[in-house]
Amino acid sequence: MSAVRFDGVTKRFGHTIALHDVSFGVEPGEVVVLLGLSGSGKSTLLRHVDGLHTATSGTVAALGTDVGQARGARLRDLRRRIGFVFQQFHLVGSLSVLENVCTGGLGRLRGPRLGLPSYPKAVRLEALGHLERVGLAPQAFQRADTLSGGQQQRVAVARALMQRPEILLADEPVASLDPESSAQVMRLIREIAAERDLTVLCSLHQVELALAWADRIIGLRSGRVVLDQPARTLDHTAAATIYGGAALVGSA
Amino acid sequence: MTVRTLARPKTGPVAATLTLLALFALAAWAVGDLRINVATLVDSAGNAADFAGRMLPLDFPPAGELLKLTGQTLSIVVCSTLLSVVISIVLAVLAAGNTTPHRGARFASRAVIVAARAVPDVVLAIVFFRVFGFGAMAGILAMGLHSVGMVGKLYADAIEQIDEGPRAAVRAGGAAGGQELIAGVLPQVLPALVATALHRLDINLRVSVVLGFVGVDGLGYAIATSLRELDYRRGMALALVVLILCVVVEFLSGAIRNALLRPKVTMPPPRRAGQVSPQWTMARIGKTGYAVLTLVIVLASIWGAHLSAGQFFGALGNLGHTLSLFWPPEFLPVLAGDLWETVKIALAATLLGAVLALPFGALAARNVAPNAARFFRLLIVGVRGIPELVLAIVFVVISGLGPVAGALALAVGVVGLLGKLVADSLEEVDPGVEQALRATGAGRWQVFFSATLPQAAPAFVAHVLYQLDVNIRSATLLGIVGAGGIGFDLLNASRVLEFGAVTAILALVFVVVMAVELLAVGLRRVVR
Repeated sequence: MSAVRFDGVTKRFGHTIALHDVSFGVEPGEVVVLLGLSGSGKSTLLRHVDGLHTATSGTVAALGTDVGQARGARLRDLRRRIGFVFQQFHLVGSLSVLENVCTGGLGRLRGPRLGLPSYPKAVRLEALGHLERVGLAPQAFQRADTLSGGQQQRVAVARALMQRPEILLADEPVASLDPESSAQVMRLIREIAAERDLTVLCSLHQVELALAWADRIIGLRSGRVVLDQPARTLDHTAAATIYGGAALVGSA
Repeated sequence: MTVRTLARPKTGPVAATLTLLALFALAAWAVGDLRINVATLVDSAGNAADFAGRMLPLDFPPAGELLKLTGQTLSIVVCSTLLSVVISIVLAVLAAGNTTPHRGARFASRAVIVAARAVPDVVLAIVFFRVFGFGAMAGILAMGLHSVGMVGKLYADAIEQIDEGPRAAVRAGGAAGGQELIAGVLPQVLPALVATALHRLDINLRVSVVLGFVGVDGLGYAIATSLRELDYRRGMALALVVLILCVVVEFLSGAIRNALLRPKVTMPPPRRAGQVSPQWTMARIGKTGYAVLTLVIVLASIWGAHLSAGQFFGALGNLGHTLSLFWPPEFLPVLAGDLWETVKIALAATLLGAVLALPFGALAARNVAPNAARFFRLLIVGVRGIPELVLAIVFVVISGLGPVAGALALAVGVVGLLGKLVADSLEEVDPGVEQALRATGAGRWQVFFSATLPQAAPAFVAHVLYQLDVNIRSATLLGIVGAGGIGFDLLNASRVLEFGAVTAILALVFVVVMAVELLAVGLRRVVR
């Protein structure tokens, strides 16, 4: 069974077609990079996997569940099993690093939580363990907005781990980071995927990073899949064809 | 066939300019019609000396009684603000575009918020006294419900301005609706929620004293009683206490608001191995201290207000009968004239106040008067600290009962509010434009008139209209202390139990306030 399966998925926003008849499957444990220009549909595609968007037509299945049909508690349980890392980190800047990580556990806790002491000690300990893993345990009690971009993204990864996910989605996780932090975050994601046997779907727009970190590359252009190959069978020039020469004429 | 190549000229700006000019002319006429002129002021100067003789020496009540009155006032104010915060949080979540569960719920809660603002608190107080009898409950409900009009709106705005990212992240983690609100939305809006509540606490303190004239317990009630007995020494002594209390509360809440909205970020020491909770740093002790102190104040206020569920639910059984007393509305012939007088007071006060507030506000802006700004800021804050009630009483005693006292008291109040708004909007202009002019060798005045003022002018128009809106409400309210206009009819109607007239006054004020609001919305849309 595929961990993620898209069957003829089309998504419209008004008159814009964001995804056009997209079909592919991702096997458990695979690390897949979605490659394409901004606006090619990468984010929209990722958001279909955990039901933040629903398809106009076609079906999306994740972990054996039809995402478009899931509602309420079933949808929340599905989301709990799928971690999501965003380009802009999306931490609450005024809360401590540790509390931000703890919010990743909300999906399996009951009731709203306000303030660090409202999380059970076991949850806090687990969160500290994840912070340890991403190398930020000493900063646990700092406000999240006092960290650098690369550090904030590692906190976001720890928050996703807090969900005990089976799939990890990452939407341009390094687009806002300097090259050094980028490499650090990508290495972290890759290592964690191997340790926990996670299925990873990660969108990127730099060919080099994609070739370096992916098992398989899916290229998107204007909402269509234009490439789907194992990364080792691709070289830079072949992968760059996804951009269809658009890179040469600027923003097409 | 001719083809139009130029855009058709717009009529909006012309109509807006004409409306503004008409408002200005009307206000100028109102100043004359109310006989607010140098001669009146000179006459009043004589009265002032006379008045000083009657109010001195001030006669303070014994310390025990003074503490009790102050405690009553504060507990009513805290409880009413708390009530408005609780109601507003629920309404704001329903009313904010990004958190509302349904368009219908959004519309309904917006409507409730607008209605709460439009119904004057004094009218609510009169109704609730009839329903619940005398005591703290009527005052708390009146101010609590009316405050929802401001607090609910600001809360909804705060929720709409959040960064949706953290909330999406929490949702993507499988959180349920309530968890999403608490973990993704609340931490972002919490400082604004507290700051707004403190701001409203300031306002409610002033209002509660005015409501003393219709029977709300505390310092206001004691002032009203003394003035009725012509005991000016006691009345003015209590007014001085109110003044000091207002300044102290404003100072404290301002300091807390500043600390909340511009937090000093302190770095906690790095976490030691095995540590599960943050260390007790000074910052954490301070934060927890504030939270505990707030809780203690709230609990003490609830206890001090002697609220009883029995009184509340017992009276609700009678609600139908009581409300029927207020129907049908009784449009007494005198009301139309007095309503017009209230509008004139508001217009005159806005004009007189603006004449003072614009230069004061400009001088308080750092980019306009770098050397004097600090002094004028303090001056404006000082004026803001003086409750309008105290001003109104002083002016009533000096220039006699009537509209002049009301207009003058409100005009001074305008300096406090409008002056601050003017200074803020001058400081918010794009400094690049000023620098560009300075670079060409323009002088300070040239920069002010060519770069600073034109950028801030649209905001001024909006602020003055807002001030007019505030003044119409305040003019109604101040009427009950004898400062002219329809508020005085309100007090009389409630005294002689003519509740139909109360409803009529409510309807009239509602219509006027809504008309001004619509006018302001229309003008703001054009003047940008």
